[in-house]
Amino acid sequence: MRVDIAVVGTGPAGLSAAINARQRNKTVALYGSADLTEKLVKAPEITNYLGFASISGEDLADRFKDHLKAASIQIIPQRVVQVFAMGDYYALQLSDQTFAEAESVILATGVNLGGAIPGESDLLGKGVSYCATCDAALYRGKEVAVIGYNAESIQDANLLSEVVAKVHFVPFYKDLGGLSEKVHVLEKGKTAILGKDHVEALQVGEDEIPVSAVFVIRDAVSPDHLVPGLETQGVHVAVDRQGKTNLPGLFAAGDLVGRPYQYMKAAGEGLVAGLAASEYVSKLNRPQASS
Amino acid sequence: MTKQISAKEFYDQVEQGQGVTLVDMYADWCGPCKMLAPVLDEISAQYAGKANIYKIDIDQNQEVASRYQVMAVPTMLLFKDGQLVDKLVGFMPKQSITQKIDAQLV
Repeated sequence: MRVDIAVVGTGPAGLSAAINARQRNKTVALYGSADLTEKLVKAPEITNYLGFASISGEDLADRFKDHLKAASIQIIPQRVVQVFAMGDYYALQLSDQTFAEAESVILATGVNLGGAIPGESDLLGKGVSYCATCDAALYRGKEVAVIGYNAESIQDANLLSEVVAKVHFVPFYKDLGGLSEKVHVLEKGKTAILGKDHVEALQVGEDEIPVSAVFVIRDAVSPDHLVPGLETQGVHVAVDRQGKTNLPGLFAAGDLVGRPYQYMKAAGEGLVAGLAASEYVSKLNRPQASS
Repeated sequence: MTKQISAKEFYDQVEQGQGVTLVDMYADWCGPCKMLAPVLDEISAQYAGKANIYKIDIDQNQEVASRYQVMAVPTMLLFKDGQLVDKLVGFMPKQSITQKIDAQLV
């Protein structure tokens, strides 16, 4: 079923966008962590959220969850791998390799303050990949590396080990439970991806390991990789006051669109984008899906 | 519909061909390729008589993929008079692709 609006991200911007779109009677699919964003949950004390002189991130997150419940919105706990502008609708590729469809999309994925690994951006598509299930088959019989930041990277390393000659794994994630014995785990160190026209080696600490591909598996990827064709300004998505991007029907809100990185500002922008997307969908004049 | 070609047709009609040709290097198991297919079908219809739009299955034609160092699917190779002039990696919205084709048509 094609929903009216897909919201990507479960921080204040995404939640606020989803709630406001529901209030405008739009069908909404909300994708992200069911425990909400870590940036919120891990905040020890918030003192500038209107109505709460002092509240912990965890308590504010609980309030947000109650609000979602009241609005009958359930979080779909899947990672959105990529969003495709199909012309008159959007297709979202999910981490279980299925596709979902939406008339409009609101991006609220936050900003990745970690930054790229040296060589990552230059060699993207030239051996650097963000999707093991997508590109594993290109490296049959070759040696590859996985730089893993999350639980999904363990599964991806296992999957690759079934297809390629050898998998090296750089763990930026603590829990390696379930990692296949076939995967060669490296000592974490200063990491860089080396190569001129294509990936030739992975540098970890003092060692250089010759590999044909490096799979970087983390939660947040750069927005212009998440949505091919999306216009960005540095690490942020370029938007107007309505949260509109250069792609018709695609909106963005929260830390992703710029500073200050504040919960209140994100929630406000989520509201603006939620209403702008609702208006966009209403103007499409499509037969209404029952909600 | 985008015309499917073999390696032989690729050598004869793209590398030895004239004019502007876009070749989608795709694989059956690739999700983004499935999303790109309808976009390219539209472009095929729109550019009929102006540019050739072909697709080639890299699993069946690995020598073509390795000759052009295709490291991700989909990759679109853009040729003018048999010479590779641009390499577009990954899915792209229709307008981004037509801009690249138009740039070669002038």
